Amino acid sequence: MISKTLVVAMACLAAFALNASSPERSVIQIQTFSQAPQFDAPWRSETVRRAGGSGFVIKGRRIMTNAHVIAWAKQILVRRYQDPRPYQARVAYVGHDCDLAILEVEDPAFFDGLEPLDFGELPAVRSTVVTCGYPAGGEQISFTRGVVSRIEIQNYVHAGNRSLLAVQTDAAINPGNSGGPVLQDDKVVGVAFQGVPGLENAGFFIPPEVIRHFLKDVDDGKYDGFPEAGINMVPLQNPAYRRYLGLGDEGVGARIDGFRAGSPAEKVLKKDDVLLEAGGMPVGSDGTVLYRENRVSAATVFQSPQSGESVKLKVWRDKQPMELELPVLVFEGDRLAGNQHDTPPRYFLYGGLVFTPLSADYLRTLGRERADSSSSSMYYELYFRRGEDPEKLRPEPVVLATTLAHPVNANLRVRGRALVDKINGVRINSLDDVPGALEKNTEGQHIIEFLGQGGFETLDREAAAAATQQVLQTYGISSDRRL
Amino acid sequence: MNSLVRFWLGFTALMVGLMVVQAAEPKWEKSVVTVEVTFKEYDYFQPWTTPTRSVRKHGLVVGEREILTTAQHLPTETLIRLQKGGRGKWYSGKVTWLDPQADLALITSEDPTFWEGLKTAELADVVPSAPDFNLVRWRDGNFESRRVEFSKFSVKDGALSYAPRLTLELNTELTGLGWAEPVTLDGKVAGLTTSKAGNTCNVVPAPFIRRVLEAQRSGQYRGLGYFDFTWQPGENPTTLKFLKLDGPERGAVVIKVPKRPGVEQVLKARDILLEVDGFPVDVEGDYLDPDYGHLLLENLSSRGKFAGDTVVLKVWRDGKEMTVNYVLPEAKYHDELVPREVFEHPPEYVVAGGLVFQQLEQPFLRGWGEDWRRRAPFRLQHYQNDQPTPERPSLVMLSSILPDPVNVGYQDVRMLIVDQINGRKVATLADVVAALKEPKDGVQRIQFMKGDTLQTILLDAATLDEATQRVLKRYGLPADKRLGKS
Repeated sequence: MISKTLVVAMACLAAFALNASSPERSVIQIQTFSQAPQFDAPWRSETVRRAGGSGFVIKGRRIMTNAHVIAWAKQILVRRYQDPRPYQARVAYVGHDCDLAILEVEDPAFFDGLEPLDFGELPAVRSTVVTCGYPAGGEQISFTRGVVSRIEIQNYVHAGNRSLLAVQTDAAINPGNSGGPVLQDDKVVGVAFQGVPGLENAGFFIPPEVIRHFLKDVDDGKYDGFPEAGINMVPLQNPAYRRYLGLGDEGVGARIDGFRAGSPAEKVLKKDDVLLEAGGMPVGSDGTVLYRENRVSAATVFQSPQSGESVKLKVWRDKQPMELELPVLVFEGDRLAGNQHDTPPRYFLYGGLVFTPLSADYLRTLGRERADSSSSSMYYELYFRRGEDPEKLRPEPVVLATTLAHPVNANLRVRGRALVDKINGVRINSLDDVPGALEKNTEGQHIIEFLGQGGFETLDREAAAAATQQVLQTYGISSDRRL
Repeated sequence: MNSLVRFWLGFTALMVGLMVVQAAEPKWEKSVVTVEVTFKEYDYFQPWTTPTRSVRKHGLVVGEREILTTAQHLPTETLIRLQKGGRGKWYSGKVTWLDPQADLALITSEDPTFWEGLKTAELADVVPSAPDFNLVRWRDGNFESRRVEFSKFSVKDGALSYAPRLTLELNTELTGLGWAEPVTLDGKVAGLTTSKAGNTCNVVPAPFIRRVLEAQRSGQYRGLGYFDFTWQPGENPTTLKFLKLDGPERGAVVIKVPKRPGVEQVLKARDILLEVDGFPVDVEGDYLDPDYGHLLLENLSSRGKFAGDTVVLKVWRDGKEMTVNYVLPEAKYHDELVPREVFEHPPEYVVAGGLVFQQLEQPFLRGWGEDWRRRAPFRLQHYQNDQPTPERPSLVMLSSILPDPVNVGYQDVRMLIVDQINGRKVATLADVVAALKEPKDGVQRIQFMKGDTLQTILLDAATLDEATQRVLKRYGLPADKRLGKS
C-alpha cells in the first residue's frame, strides 16, 4: 500500500516536472461551429460559422477559455496537444461580462495525462510573458513572447458595455489565440482575449484577479457576474471645487457626481460625497487607486467582491470624514444595450407583424443610419432614457422589427424599424405585454401606436388573428412566439 | 412614299420647327448675369473667428434695376460684385431684399452703366410639364444653353428652410449646378436651380417666385407659411374604418399637433384631413393640382398663401365632417428648439474662465462636415426631435474648454447641455451672462442636463474674471462674448 502511494506520488511529481517544463501539453485547441440569430428576423439564424480558439486545462478536469470562443456554439470540439482526436465538449459555466468560460469534455479520458495549469499573480509592468495558443496562420501550437505594457480598466468588447481590469502586452495576440493562457514562470497570469484594431503590438489578456473572481463566483454552481457600485465618480482636481468641499490640494478623493437610478448607492452615498478610501485603498483625486504598483480606476475595487457583498468606504461629507459600507450588486438592467449571447432573441408574431425587444444587436441591423427620427428614438431609448428620464424607462422596449407580407397587413405603411409605444391603449413595457394587449382586445381593430412621430397603424382583429397561422406556414416559421 | 423620303420630310419639318423656336427665344445672355458673393462662413467650433469665402452664382434681371437670385450665401455676405456678358468689368452690387425661407433674393447695382444692354426676363405664369427645358449659364466666359430633361413636380423643403414648396425636378448629367442657373421654356424663365443631388437638379419654379415677388413688391409679403401638424397617409382602410369614416376611402390622418404658445390649435390628432382649401385630399395625402397634377397636400400651405393667411380645412372628427379655419404659422428658424439656420447675427458665444458656452444650433452640428448626421454627437443631434417649451425655448451648451489654471480638472469636458447656472435655468446666452453675475458661496455652479454624463462643475468666482482675461489673451480671442449683432 505504501509503495503504491509512493508510485502515485512519484507519478504526480513526474507529471508536475513535465508540466512545469512543458505547459503547452495543457493548452487545448478548440474548434467551434456556431450559429448566431438574426435580430431583425428573430426566428431565423445566420449560417453556421466555423471558428477556432484556445483553452487550457484547469483544476477539476475542466478547460478554461474565452466566452466569445464558445458563444452561440452548436458544437464544440477540443483537441489535446499533438493528438489528432477531436473530443466533444460542452459549456459548464460562462461569464459573458468577463469573457471567460469553463468547458467540460464528454469523454473523461480526454484529461488523462494532462495536468492543470496553476494561476500566478498579476504580472508586473515591464515583466516578460509568453502567450500560448492556436492562432490563425497554422495548425500547430504557437508561442509569442512580449512584455506587460500596462494594466488598466478596459472595455471588454465581447459584452460591449462592461469594463474590467485588463493587461496590455506587446506579445502578438491574434484570432485563435483567444482563450489561451498567458504564462509567466509556467504559471497562468492571464487569458488572451482581445486586440484593438488600429493599435500595433497591443494585445490584451484577462488578469488573474478577474479569473479568480469568475472561478469563485461559479463555486456555488451558477454564475452571477461582476458587481458594480452604481455611482458616477468623477475626478476632483479643480482647486475651487476642492476648497468648496473643504479639501486641500492633497491629491486624494474623487467626487460622487451622480447615481444610477435605483442603485443601492443612492441610499448610502450623497452627491458631492468625496470618496477618500475604497476597500482600504486611498482613492486619488483622479479617481484611481494604487493597485500592485499600478494606478487603476477605483471601479476595480467595487468589482472585486462577489455580488451582494459590501465595500468599506471612507468618504468626506459636510467637511467631515465618515465610514460607510456600500453593498455592490450585479446590474443587468442594461443587458439589452450590450451584446446578446447564447439566448436567442425573444419575439412575438401576429398577423405578420414581428415584435422583438429593442437591443444593441437589433440596432446594428439598421446599419450606420441613425439620423432619421425613428432610428434616433430607438437609439435614445436604449442608451439615454435610463440616465435622463428613468421615470419613463421601459424595462424592455419593443420594436416592430418587420412585417411579413400578407393581405391583412398589405396596407400598413409602417412595416418595421419602429419603436412601439402602445397596443390597444396598453403601454408596452416589455415583449411580455404584447400578446396580452393583442389577444385581450375585443374591438374590431387593433391599434398599434409608435414612438417618435406619433404615428399609428391598425389591423383588422379577426382577419389578423386568422392570418397568423397562414403567415407561419407561408414563411416556414415554426412558432409564433419565443417569449 | 418610301421610308427614306418620309425621313427627309420629317427631318425638314423638325428643322423648321427648331428655327421657329430659336427665332422666338430671347437672348438670355442679356438677362443672365454673374453674381460673385463673398460671405462669412463661420467656424462654429471657434465662433470668435470670421472666415470668409467667395462663390459665383447667377442672377436674372427681373425688373427695373432688379436682379433675382437664390438667397443661399447672401445672408452673411460682405461683398457682392456683378458681371455681365460673362467677362470683363465687375460692378458693385447690394442686396435690396432677401428671404432665406423662400430662398430668394433681389440685388441691385447703383452703377447705371451696369444696366446698359441688359434686358428684363419674363417669369412664366405656369410651368408646363414639357419633356425638356433649357438651362442657361455663364461658364468660363461663354454663354451656355443646354437641354435638360423634365423629371417631375414635387413638394420639398427649401435649401434653407423646412417650409415645403413646389419644386421642379430636372434630370441632367450636367455638373456644377445649383447656383441659381435660370431654366427656360418657350421664351420664359421657368425657374432657378437651387441644388443638385445625383442627377436630380432642383429648381424653384417661376410661379412660386412670381407670387413671392408680387407680394414683396406690394408690401404684402408676410413670409412663408407651413403646416405645423404631422399627418400620415390614410392608405390603410382599417384605420379609416377605426376612425369611423363614412363614404369612400379618402383623406390623410393627422397624428401630431404641436402645442405652440399663444396658439389654439384647430386640429386634433386622429382627425382625417378630407379637403384643404376645397381640394380633396386622397389617401396618399395628395391633392390634384390643376397645373401640376398630383402633389403632396403640403403644397397648399404655399400655393398662393403666405404666413398669417387662413386655409380652410374640411376634417372628419368623431364620426362627422366639420370645417375649421387654420391660420398658417410663419416658418421661423427660432420656432425650433435647435434652429436650422441663424442668419440675423454671427455665432454667439460666451467665454467664462475658459468655458465656452454656445447656443445649440444646427450650423454647429453641421461643423462635422457633409456626413454630420452620422458624425456629430448623437445626443446633441437628438435634441432636434424635441419641441421648444416656454421654459426652454432654446438650449445652451458648454461646447469646449480653453484650458487654464482656473478650469483644471475639467479640460476634457465638452458638448454638454447646460441646465442651470447658480440655480438659474439657462436657455440663452443672455441667461448665462446674467446667472454668472450671481455666484453663491464663492463659486460659480454649472449644472448640466440630467443623465449619465457629468452633472456639476464649480469654478472659483473671485478669480473668474481675471482668468477670463488671461484666456482671451492666451488664445487670441477678441472678446469674452458675442451676443446678437455685436
